[in-house]
Amino acid sequence: MKVLELKNVNKIYNSSEIKVHAVNNVTLDFEEAEFAAIVGPSGSGKTTLLNLIGGLDMPSSGEIIVGGTILSELKPSQLIDFRLHNIGFVFQSFNLIPVLTARENVELIMVLQKWPENKRNLRTIELLNAVGLGDRLNSRPARLSGGEQQRVAVARALASKPKFVLADEPTANLDSKSAATLLEIMVNLNREENVTFIFSTHDPRVVKMARRIIILEDGKIVSDEKQCQ
Amino acid sequence: MIWTLAWKNIWRNKKRSLVVIFAVTLGIISGMFLIGFVEGWSRQRLHDAIYNEVSHLQIHNSEYPGNEETDLTVINPVRLVLHIDSLKELRSWAKRTRIVAMANTPWGNTGLTLFGIDPEREKLLTEIHDRIVPGGGRYIDSGNPSGILISDKTADLLRLKHYILTDSVMEELRHEKIPVSVLERINQLRNVRFRSLKDFREGLMPLLTGKETARYGFLISGKALNYRLRNRVQVTISDIDGNPVQGIFRVCGVFKTANTGFDQSAAFVNAAELARQYGSGEIPVHEIAILLNDIDDADMVKNTLNAVAGGNSVMTWKELAPEAALMNEFMFAYYLVFIGIIMLALAFGIINTMLMAVLERTKELGMLMAIGMNRRRIFTMIMLETIFLTFVGAAAGTVAGLALIAVLGKTGIHLGSWREGFEAIGFAATVYPFVTPAFIVFTVIMVTVTAVISSIWPARKALKLNPVEALRTE
Repeated sequence: MKVLELKNVNKIYNSSEIKVHAVNNVTLDFEEAEFAAIVGPSGSGKTTLLNLIGGLDMPSSGEIIVGGTILSELKPSQLIDFRLHNIGFVFQSFNLIPVLTARENVELIMVLQKWPENKRNLRTIELLNAVGLGDRLNSRPARLSGGEQQRVAVARALASKPKFVLADEPTANLDSKSAATLLEIMVNLNREENVTFIFSTHDPRVVKMARRIIILEDGKIVSDEKQCQ
Repeated sequence: MIWTLAWKNIWRNKKRSLVVIFAVTLGIISGMFLIGFVEGWSRQRLHDAIYNEVSHLQIHNSEYPGNEETDLTVINPVRLVLHIDSLKELRSWAKRTRIVAMANTPWGNTGLTLFGIDPEREKLLTEIHDRIVPGGGRYIDSGNPSGILISDKTADLLRLKHYILTDSVMEELRHEKIPVSVLERINQLRNVRFRSLKDFREGLMPLLTGKETARYGFLISGKALNYRLRNRVQVTISDIDGNPVQGIFRVCGVFKTANTGFDQSAAFVNAAELARQYGSGEIPVHEIAILLNDIDDADMVKNTLNAVAGGNSVMTWKELAPEAALMNEFMFAYYLVFIGIIMLALAFGIINTMLMAVLERTKELGMLMAIGMNRRRIFTMIMLETIFLTFVGAAAGTVAGLALIAVLGKTGIHLGSWREGFEAIGFAATVYPFVTPAFIVFTVIMVTVTAVISSIWPARKALKLNPVEALRTE
């Protein structure tokens, strides 16, 4: 079942003198429970593509359809609400809220979605156990390592049971051991939660774990291959 | 969780938040002190005006207020009193005779208004009987027809005060813990009579250092003060036919209020005795003073009495003591201006702090928008942070301010060196600050409004963030 479709998506930035075609006529679709990596050199348009897919930015032309909804047809307020219920985000620099504990960071999404408290508690503990932080529920980000923080971020991204998770260079700020642990956790969650993961990455370890590799150059897809694990 | 998050956010930068909280606290304390001071002053003036001078209402012959002639008496006072007695708002009333007189002693003279009163009724109306100065005798009573109650100021003008360090005064001063060396030096003045405060001070000055005079002079002169009680005062008035007549009264007591102007012009005698000297068969009534249970009923009662006043006029305290009324009415404007200025200053501090807080958290706010926190929630969060920050300071300021007012309300603030100046215009030289519950409610409203208004700019700044750009910031 398709969770995401991109049809002839273009993103053009018009500065005063030059026109930058950051995403050039991209057409893609993603099935449920995919584990896909978007790779390419710096400036190839990976992050722009992820921003478009995540509804953080709007394409200059083309359509992005998530579960039958065309993102560009949504009003800004509807788009925020749509993101809340359908898309999980993992950022390169973790972006946890420093004044909240690991448990509260994960719970926040469910609070925004108005889940009942008992359901929230169960889901939070389930996810933090799944990322190996069941014993660090009440630790604030400052007391967690970089790898642990990113694991909390993954738990947060999955908290609302999104259709897919977008991860922008999730291992870029991690040492190899932490990165390996994180990847292993994400692979497991991808299977257990049946959620599509889409990464932008340079990291060969991530590429190695991916079941689909999309190569982007100058905003164009130059390769889109599925590989067996 | 938005509330929890907002509360936790204000403690991210403890030092900065504490500075703002401290500023709000200090602002509220200073506002409360200043308002409490002026409110206390205003209330004292109003209290003194009502309970010593004018009561809540007065009835005169309608021509009397502009032309205080002795023959302009209240028309049909008996009928009026029947109406007054039937008022459910009434606390008490008293009839008075008012005759302008010249008072003389062998050493001085002064012009004043003689109030012919029924002492027992008057006690229910005014607090003059409680204002007898220490060593100043006692209140006028019906059993002493020739007694006259004069003020400390009048005693001064009639030279009925002298200063003398008697043995008992020296003993009292010893108990006041005045150093023995000082007592030994002033002992040279023992039993020497001084006719004025000026003479007494001049006698003390060569014996004491400047510091000792400043520290003990007021106490020593206070203890040495002696009134010539039972001394004769010759009073000259115009009788019913307009001929000057002299009467003799003996000083039975000396009073002092916070209004030197009133003190200087008022002396009290028994109404029947004054009527006798005036040559009237019955006691002339120039004034009926009325005290109500509630000051707010004054206008309504005035209207009621006006309907039956005949040729008399009914005046409320606002007309009789317009300066006290003006001050009372201006209090709200005064609150508004003072608290407004304080809140404006605080608002700038709060806005500055919250703008910094928003700028520092640009990336985090971008993340919150990205994961699905809508604009309303972002706005609410920033607004709550501002409100929490302000309210913590406001709560601390209110508690500290109330404690300060409670302490100063008991001890009073003594404006010693300006005493004479303030009393000359009717204001007490010891102020007991006071804040009304209405003021506290008003302050809470003003703080809330300030916090909400101050939060709008930073919150709007947060709303204008573009999540993609915000996430790129470092």
